[in-house]
Amino acid sequence: MGEIASHLLNGLSIALTPTNALWLVLGSALGTVLGMLPGLGPTTGIALLLPLTFSMQPTTALIAMCSIYYGAMFGGSRSSILLNVPGDGAAVASCFDGYPMAQQGRAEAALAISAIASFIGGLLATVAFVLIAIPMARFALKFGPPEYFVLMIFALAATAAISKAALLKGMIAMILGLMLTTVGLDHQSGMPRFTFGLSELQGGIDFVIVIIGIFGIGEVFENLEHIARAVVKPVQTKFGRIWISMEDWKRCVWPILRQAPIGFIIGILPGAGGTIAAMMAYNNEKQLSKHPEEFGHGAIEGLAAPESANNACSVGAMIPMFTLGVPGSGTTAVMLGALLIMGLQPGPLLFQHNPDIAWGVIASMILGNFVCALINLPLAGLLVRVLSVPGRILYPIIVVLAFLGVYTINFAVADFILLTILGFVGYLMKKFKIPTAPLILASVVGSMMEETFRQSMMLTNTSFGIFFRSPICMVLWALTIASIAWPFISEARAKKKTATAA
Amino acid sequence: MRPNAWVAITAIIFGIAYGAQATGLPRAPIGNPMAPVYFPMGLAILMVLFGAMLFFFEARKGLNSDDKSKRPQFHFAGMKLILIVIALCLLYTVTFDRLGFVLSTMIFLMAMLTFINGKERTIANAVITICYSIGMWYVFVNVFQLALPSSPLGIF
Repeated sequence: MGEIASHLLNGLSIALTPTNALWLVLGSALGTVLGMLPGLGPTTGIALLLPLTFSMQPTTALIAMCSIYYGAMFGGSRSSILLNVPGDGAAVASCFDGYPMAQQGRAEAALAISAIASFIGGLLATVAFVLIAIPMARFALKFGPPEYFVLMIFALAATAAISKAALLKGMIAMILGLMLTTVGLDHQSGMPRFTFGLSELQGGIDFVIVIIGIFGIGEVFENLEHIARAVVKPVQTKFGRIWISMEDWKRCVWPILRQAPIGFIIGILPGAGGTIAAMMAYNNEKQLSKHPEEFGHGAIEGLAAPESANNACSVGAMIPMFTLGVPGSGTTAVMLGALLIMGLQPGPLLFQHNPDIAWGVIASMILGNFVCALINLPLAGLLVRVLSVPGRILYPIIVVLAFLGVYTINFAVADFILLTILGFVGYLMKKFKIPTAPLILASVVGSMMEETFRQSMMLTNTSFGIFFRSPICMVLWALTIASIAWPFISEARAKKKTATAA
Repeated sequence: MRPNAWVAITAIIFGIAYGAQATGLPRAPIGNPMAPVYFPMGLAILMVLFGAMLFFFEARKGLNSDDKSKRPQFHFAGMKLILIVIALCLLYTVTFDRLGFVLSTMIFLMAMLTFINGKERTIANAVITICYSIGMWYVFVNVFQLALPSSPLGIF
């Protein structure tokens, strides 16, 4: 415990240096704004702003990205409450009671409780993160190439198998993402693969281009279809005091405290993200409530519970990324990629080799929660004005930002063509309801996955048995099978429940 | 045909084409010569397998038995706008190095705003274009110290 406290104090001193503190505040504000804008969630936001971090020190860059992440989680609910349009998937559950509250003239209480619940959920999860990080990182030191290979299979399978309906399409997206990582010079033999004689492809397809193309440009293309007809909803920008009454607080305190640990655990699990955490929290509270009939009609705890859970989830999602070096969500995949660009070794060795970076970022999470709460309570009225900017102006601006961001990776315009193609692929994926998160995750971990696969093969002279030898591998295979089987099991259980009720 | 069947067919064709390319990949000069080929070959097999499974499940439901109103809709006006933006993106690729960041971005952004925000808002479009192009150039070059191509005019 003393070791953690001293690391944390050291981390706080790093996070509070003027540059880091400035980016903490700027990142939180930018994240809040990006989170508010419908369609631009934390993943797209971080991907678009990722090139800005290239000129920063690694600690500053990670602090900026983390603050954008939880800023976006705070901001996502603003448009849910005021416009009934969620900023991202994690904020969908906040529409159910947040918007009715605003319609009943209680927008101030809704904005306040969403910020307070997000703050408490995020803070509790950060404390849990601090307690878990070191033991988890120490455990991860037992992982060799075969364990890492199977761990990545588990992370990818869990993300692809998020629903039964999209299971096979998720797997196809995952394989496509892995295929993209095989383009370019082979890292071990130096031989060109899938370059078609083009020197521009020898360096491979950078995963940042894939992320910005699939998420950023793909999103813009999808919105262009109905942008001309889109009507901008008037948004309330004048508010009274953004705060809650004691009665509201009494109704919300237990839902907030109950749902934060659930959100945190869901965050740690690969694949299950903020959307599932928030929906689960909402349904849990509805079942536990003495007046479930009020849910959907402006019950304040129906807003507090998902907000607490989705912020706790965003902190939990960083555990596998920091301690194992394997991302469990699209957003943490982008952050992991950023770590790689900076030449850092993600995973358990980060805590040994770069403790200043690891603990500086962890300390910034605690501070970031306070900053986000401060931004989202007194400044909410000012920030929500962003929602008045029509999409037909916003999206062309985003396209330019995406191109500029991609240019700063390799300083090569050839990447613009890749970006445009990937944007169109992303658009088609959305049209055909193919999940994009598995593709993104695969494009980030693909090279690592092939490397660990080939290292394992070299260790045993091309025997697949190595992937089944250690107990860790066996547990990970069991988890992989369970994550693929889970959508089928849960559907069968739901059918059984319906049949029993009938 | 059901939209998922189209996805399945595309996956199978893509998997076969990728697999055909993978078999022709150059072998490693040292160590196991097949080492650079195993992983891509595995991916090609899995892509075809998942594509075939998806097609099989869709075929079992009846390839044309779905609700046609739920199929992906491609409206002419929307597609036209997307294709215009794609053409502008390619034009931006060609002009970016030649005209420099600020000039090429002004042309690109103004053209996009004209098509998306409307011709009748020319003044607003021009103000946004000029402020954003110069503002981004200033932030990236002076604040983030990143080099962007300069215009042949010597300014920006």
